[in-house]
Amino acid sequence: MSARAARRRWTRAAWRRLALVLLWLGHGAWVLVGPDAGRSWTRTADTLALPAQGAARQWEGWRARRRDDGRSLQDLQVENTRLASDLAALRLRDAQEAPRLAEAEEAVRVLGLRKLMPLQLSAARVVFSTRPAAFGGLILDQGRDHGLVEDQGVLAPEGIVGRIWSVGPTQAKVLPADAPNASVAVMLIRSRATGVLQGLGGSRAHIRYVSNQEVVQPGEAVLTSGLDRVFPRGLLVGHVVRVERGELELELTVQLAAPLDRVSTVLLLPPQPPLEAQQPFVQPEQPKPVGRKKGTP
Amino acid sequence: MRPPTPTTLRQHLLCAGGLVLVVLTAPFPSLQAVVHSALVLTLAPQPGAPLTGALWALAAGWTLELTLRLPPHLGGTAWADLTLVLIAGWTASRWPLDGPKDWLTRLGALTVLHVLLLHWMVRLAAGPHPWGWSWLWTLLSLPLWAWAAWRLLHPAAPTGRR
Repeated sequence: MSARAARRRWTRAAWRRLALVLLWLGHGAWVLVGPDAGRSWTRTADTLALPAQGAARQWEGWRARRRDDGRSLQDLQVENTRLASDLAALRLRDAQEAPRLAEAEEAVRVLGLRKLMPLQLSAARVVFSTRPAAFGGLILDQGRDHGLVEDQGVLAPEGIVGRIWSVGPTQAKVLPADAPNASVAVMLIRSRATGVLQGLGGSRAHIRYVSNQEVVQPGEAVLTSGLDRVFPRGLLVGHVVRVERGELELELTVQLAAPLDRVSTVLLLPPQPPLEAQQPFVQPEQPKPVGRKKGTP
Repeated sequence: MRPPTPTTLRQHLLCAGGLVLVVLTAPFPSLQAVVHSALVLTLAPQPGAPLTGALWALAAGWTLELTLRLPPHLGGTAWADLTLVLIAGWTASRWPLDGPKDWLTRLGALTVLHVLLLHWMVRLAAGPHPWGWSWLWTLLSLPLWAWAAWRLLHPAAPTGRR
């Protein structure tokens, strides 16, 4: 045991040899490092720091990407909020413009009808509707000051609306064609059978005084006959939706063509209009061919 | 007949004197190179005490570079001196001297090796450099400083003359 310990113990000669080796190696290392030891150490430190620098670069890139993603997400959220507010504003403006647009469209259609009809028509605006009430009607923004009188026919581009029931100084009340106390002289477009339209309410009416010998089919158009001297002949009233044969006459139910609940602009026919409102079709005169005189070549 | 080994004190005194001469001959590089070689190859090596000789050789190398040279990186001369003194000590212990002729022959070989090793290690440390003519003066004056060192180290030994 003691011999082993003595063998392990370092002698002075061994220490000297170790010092020599360390001296030689230290000088060799010092020489081999070269004149720019700082640069060598810096290069070594750079090499050793490469993994840490790579990791730091990755970390910084990840943070930058995350920051950019967050910024883009925030931008998208801000843009989304702005677009949502713009959409809401556009919808609000659309809702605000919708009545005016509908009114403008109806005015265009009324204007077109006015141009088609060879009568002196005047336009009026529906300012109020009492149709949901019993015997309700439409209130126009014109009255006696505009020359309106009772029993003037009221038209819409889709068909007849009714007649003026009462006239005030600045307003007039329209009796719609589907009112129970309203009546319009009508005729069927195919059979030319005439009758009287009486209102049933709910944009419906029935035609009376049509013989059960007539052949009428559902869907047949109903026109004004002009016999009541309120509407001229040929204006669309509605279409037959139900046909039942009675003992003496047909029981015809008609769906009025004019949207009485949604009409906002109407045309007023002149009082006592002519029976025929449309221009008679006149064949244009063809120039006669000039005959050759006898004896001429 | 082997010459007697010089005493340690005497050898240390001689090394100290050689080191002082290295410092004093700094204005004369060729002479300094001769003194430096003599110190490293003749005075410093001690067969029984390599560490002491190595320290004297390192002192000679660093003194030479610090007093004379201004290379971009020091240490090449000291490393070469350390290596040479270890080789010289090992050869002295491995093949003890028999006389002045062996001494001269061995010094010639060691001087050539010293010159080559010195320039190589200085080149390693400081890069390419001009050799100059100091090595030639060292080799030419080898008999002179070898004889002087022999006389100083072994004053009682025979000179080889009959």
